[in-house]
Amino acid sequence: MKFIMNYIRKDTWSPYIAGILLGVVGILTVVLTKSLLGASGAFENLAGMIGKAIAPSAFNNMYFNFIMPPGITSGVILLVGVFFGGMAAAATSKTLKWGKKDAANSDKQWKRIFGPQTWKRWVLGFFGAIILEYGAGIAGGCTSGLAISGGMLLAPAAFLFIAGMFASGIVTALIVYRRRY
Amino acid sequence: MAVPLITLFLGACFGFSLNKAGLTKYHKIVNVFRLTDMAVLQFMMTALVVAMIGLYGLRGLGLITFPTVPATYIVGNLVGGLIFGVGMALTGY
Repeated sequence: MKFIMNYIRKDTWSPYIAGILLGVVGILTVVLTKSLLGASGAFENLAGMIGKAIAPSAFNNMYFNFIMPPGITSGVILLVGVFFGGMAAAATSKTLKWGKKDAANSDKQWKRIFGPQTWKRWVLGFFGAIILEYGAGIAGGCTSGLAISGGMLLAPAAFLFIAGMFASGIVTALIVYRRRY
Repeated sequence: MAVPLITLFLGACFGFSLNKAGLTKYHKIVNVFRLTDMAVLQFMMTALVVAMIGLYGLRGLGLITFPTVPATYIVGNLVGGLIFGVGMALTGY
């Protein structure tokens, strides 16, 4: 028991142990809620909700009426859970940076590559996230919703997505890191 | 049953495992694309294998039916994946 408690307090688990936990969560999601895990869809649900309130005519199209209906869906609830679960995990390993000085940008590797400015990380994060969410919208899911949830049902879409994601990710990383290592 | 509560709890477990595997850190995500740290792949593939065995086993026993499988449309999945990879390598989220 003490061993388990000590392991929970560790900052980084073996990825295999954490992967087993996620696998079990994936099974439970299908068994208990008859749906799949997914994160990116929730942003589209929320965006649809805000869009319908502000400019109803612009959002009155196929995508927001049928594919991604706006509203507080199970995906949004799941995302809230992910947020607090991540915080709880950080709290158990005492790496929770809520309100600390370098909370907005604390990654050492990032600072070595791009410098210490926080605004740079935020700008790159903002525009990178737009690209990321746009890609997820086209593919019909993100790493969790399509690659992991689809993959565990052996959906061909998931493996096409993983192939595309790694192909362009490796090229992008090569471009970003070309002369810095 | 209180499905939203279960969803919330499962989401929390999901976030917990992501954080503990280190997937909330910029350098973990980027280094998998630089092929210097394979934690993300190890994590994803372990989750896939465990869930595949569990789900197909349970379906084989007739205990569950699968929810709608994500649709396959080759060009969309592939192009979406390509765009997604660029964003993922840039942000590291």
